[in-house]
Amino acid sequence: MDVIALPVVAGMARRAQRNFQDHKIPLMGVMGAFIFAAQMLSFPVASGTSSHLVGGTLLAVTLGPAAASIVMTAILITQALIFQDGGVLALGANVFNMAIAGVLAGYVPYALMRGRRSGIFVGGFLSVAVSAALALGELLVSGVAIPRVALAISAGVFVLCGIIEGAITVAVVGALERIQPGIIRKPHAAARRTTGAVVGVAGLLAGAGALVASEWPDGIENLTGTATAAKALFAAPMADYRLPFAGGILPGRVMAAFIGVAVVYFVCVALSRALRSPGAAVSPEAPKPEGV
Amino acid sequence: MRQRRIEDWSRGSSQLHRLHPTVKIAVILTFLIAVSTMRGAVSWFSAVACVLVLAGAMTAHVPLRAFFTRAAAVLPFALCFAILSLVSGEVNGAAMMVLKSYLSASAALLLVATTPMPRLIEGLELLRLPRFLLQVMQFLYRYLSVLMDEAEAMRIAAQSRAGNLLKPEFRRVAAIAGVLFARAWSRAEAVHRAMVARGFAGRLPANRSAAFRPLDAALAVLICAAIAGIRVALP
Repeated sequence: MDVIALPVVAGMARRAQRNFQDHKIPLMGVMGAFIFAAQMLSFPVASGTSSHLVGGTLLAVTLGPAAASIVMTAILITQALIFQDGGVLALGANVFNMAIAGVLAGYVPYALMRGRRSGIFVGGFLSVAVSAALALGELLVSGVAIPRVALAISAGVFVLCGIIEGAITVAVVGALERIQPGIIRKPHAAARRTTGAVVGVAGLLAGAGALVASEWPDGIENLTGTATAAKALFAAPMADYRLPFAGGILPGRVMAAFIGVAVVYFVCVALSRALRSPGAAVSPEAPKPEGV
Repeated sequence: MRQRRIEDWSRGSSQLHRLHPTVKIAVILTFLIAVSTMRGAVSWFSAVACVLVLAGAMTAHVPLRAFFTRAAAVLPFALCFAILSLVSGEVNGAAMMVLKSYLSASAALLLVATTPMPRLIEGLELLRLPRFLLQVMQFLYRYLSVLMDEAEAMRIAAQSRAGNLLKPEFRRVAAIAGVLFARAWSRAEAVHRAMVARGFAGRLPANRSAAFRPLDAALAVLICAAIAGIRVALP
C-alpha cells in the first residue's frame, strides 16, 4: 500500500504547496490538531457504544481536498507514532484508505452537488464507507480469516458509522456557517471538471469493491488462496514482492522486503528531485530578521 | 496525558537519546521491515526481536512498565482481528498478528521516547520526506494539547450548563465542534500573523542541531545490516 500511498501523498503535498500560500502551513497544522481534539468529543450512539467525527470530509470542504489529504496523513502519522493508535505497520494502508481514498470519496459528492448540504452528507457517508470497505478488503486479501457473520456485522456497523459521519459533518458545517459565514469553500467550475475525472477513479475503486463484495465469499477464498503468503495490512510494504530467483523460501522474501522498501524510497527521492529541478526557484533561505 | 509523558521521556540523556535521529529512524525502519516479514508460527526471530526491544527500552532508561503499557495501546484493534482468526482456527495467525503489532508499536514508541519532536522532524527531513508534510506535522504536534485542552474545557462547560437534558447529545457535540473549529481557524490566522511579524517567509528555518557525520552513517549502516542479517539468518 505504501507503494501507492507515498507518491500520492508526495503529489498532494506538491499540489497543496503550489496552490496555497505560506499561511496554509500553520492553518493546516492547527486544523489537524482540531481534528484530534474533535475526535475526543465522542457522543453515545446506541446501547453503550459511542462514535466520533473522523473529519476527512470536513477538512476537504474547508481546506480543499489536496490540503485535507496532507492534514489527514499528518494526523495518521502522529496517531501511529505518538498515540500507538492504528499501528505503524498499517500506516501505509491507513494513509491510502483514509487520507487519500477517504478524503476523495468525501469531496467528490460535495463538488458534484455544487456544495449543497446533501452533498456534504453523502460525502461524509461515502468517506467513511469507502475507507472502511477498503480496510476490510485489505484485511481479507492479506489472509486474515474473518467469519461471514463478522463480515455482515461490520458492514452494518460501517453503514451506521457512515451515516453518523455524514450527519455530524453537516451539523458541524451548519454550526460553522452560523458563526463564521464563508469559511466553507464552494467548489468552482474548474474544480468540478477535475472532480469529474476523479469520479472515474472513484468509480473504478467502487467497482473493485463491488467485485469483492459480489464474489464473496468465493472470491475472497480465491484471493486468500493465492495471496496468503502475500501482502498484509499487518505485514508491510512490499512484502508481497518476491525476488524471482528465490521465490517462496524465507530469506528470499525477507530480502525482497528490504530491497523493495529501499527501491521505493530511492525512486521517491529521485522523483521529487526530478520534479523540483525544472520548477527552478530554489527558494533562498529566509532572511534573518535583525535585532530579534 | 499521554503526549506529555512521551515528551518527558524524550528529554532523557541516555546513549539512545544522544544517537543522531536519522540513525534511529533508519534502524527502527529496518526493524519494522524485519518484524513485518514474520510469518507462520512464533519463531526464533520473534524472540530475538522481543529481546532487542527490551534492550532498547532498558538502554533508554525509560520506566519499563509504563513504556510497555503504553505500547499496548495498539492492541485492541489487533486483538479484535486476532480473536476472529482464533475463532476460525488459525492459532498461529492470531498469535503472529498480536506479536507483530505489539513489537512494531514498541519499536515506534522507542523512537519517539528517545527523540524529541523537533529532532525527529529534523531526522525525517534529512531522509527527504516532503517538507510541507513535515511542517504541517510540526504545527499539528505543537497545537495538539492546546486544542485538546480547549475541547475538554468546552465539553465540561456544556455539561455543567446543560447537564443531562434530553437535548440530543449529537447536536451539542456538533455545536461544540463548530465553535472549536472556528476558534482553531482564527488561532491559526493569529499564529501566521505572528510568524510573519517575526520574519516568516514561506518556510521554517531549518533546525540542524547536530550534523549527520560519516560516523553516524556508518553506524546506521552497521546496525541496519546487523538486523537484516539476523532476520535472514533466523527462520
